[in-house]
Amino acid sequence: MTLLGRDVVEVDALVTDRYLDSLLVARELEAASPRATAGPALRTPPAGRPRELSGTRLDRGVRLASERLTRDLPRFHPSFRFEERLAVRLAEAAAAMRLPVAAGGEGSVRLVPFPAPELPAGFDPLAAEPDEGDAATFSRPLLLGGAVAASALSIAGAAWVAWRRSRANSSPMARAARAAHAMRGRPA
Amino acid sequence: MARPVFRKMGAAETAAPRIAHLDQDRPLVDAARRDPARFEALYRRYVAPVYSFAYYELGDHHAAEDATARTFLAALANLHRFEERAQPADGAGASTFKVWLFRVARNVIANERRTARRHPAAILDDATAAIVADPLDVEGDAVRRDEASSAWRAVGRLPGDRRRALVLRFVDELSTAEIAGVMGRSEGAVRVLLHRALRTVARDLDVPRAARRPPAREDRSR
Repeated sequence: MTLLGRDVVEVDALVTDRYLDSLLVARELEAASPRATAGPALRTPPAGRPRELSGTRLDRGVRLASERLTRDLPRFHPSFRFEERLAVRLAEAAAAMRLPVAAGGEGSVRLVPFPAPELPAGFDPLAAEPDEGDAATFSRPLLLGGAVAASALSIAGAAWVAWRRSRANSSPMARAARAAHAMRGRPA
Repeated sequence: MARPVFRKMGAAETAAPRIAHLDQDRPLVDAARRDPARFEALYRRYVAPVYSFAYYELGDHHAAEDATARTFLAALANLHRFEERAQPADGAGASTFKVWLFRVARNVIANERRTARRHPAAILDDATAAIVADPLDVEGDAVRRDEASSAWRAVGRLPGDRRRALVLRFVDELSTAEIAGVMGRSEGAVRVLLHRALRTVARDLDVPRAARRPPAREDRSR
């Protein structure tokens, strides 16, 4: 373990990281000042950035490999055609998302086709009304039969109640009461 | 049904009360959240770095284009899930959207590689032909191409994590903290990864010995 209490590799890695930071800063400075040449700028980190930590040295191979990769690894750009094609795809996807976002929804929304009812081929719901003869096919026997039966039961019930009200009560108590009422007006 | 965002935000605030909005892409991200059509600005800014990363990882032009397209479509569809986590220590140039986007790209590329089962080192040589040639300096151009090819081959021979870290650092110019965010590792682990990768590349390129030889051309700027 070293003075900092870290592994030697970690300290070396920290030194390397500081050096890589200085390389990136140098590249940014180089991009900012077009008159500077690439070679010396990459080899000389800017002032104020420590090139090495105190008591440690940057590995020479690591330094040279870093400079080599900074200089030689190319950056690629996609073709203009691909970039524009993808931009159009993204614009289409964004247009599809715009409505749910405006409505306050979250997440992506997939457009699902409304399930069409199973209709015969050639059926047009906005076409003219069917002819009279076609209406006969729409028969409802159970419903009509139920209405007739209900009406008959209702009429029979009303007739029975009327008969019961018109018929005199023939119980013994009723007969005794009627006899007593009839005798009330006679002389004894 | 609405998500319990208020409870989540309250917990985040108590855990990190000093959180600062240092994401340099924040205005663009906010605009894209309000209107998805504004995502184009973010796309234009990052299409080349993402494509470059995909090309180094996959080693194939068409596969890199596919991965780039999927990355941006996935990013657009999932932009509402992006959470800004820049800290004051990250500096003024911190861009958590960039880290998030490269994480998406990394996942897409991993999926692409599982499907294609290609090895980048086998195809990387073709890319050196794409280096812009200088018609007035044929000799220097050949040297540049040769050096780029050898550097690329050395990087291509590295194990996946080391290669990825080097490409993100040298090609996409991400900081160590950003690479750690992309790769899901600690900063210390990424530092060690980069250091070991550079030592391997140095051995592979034999740079100390090559440095003793006189350089073929001092200024290699194009």
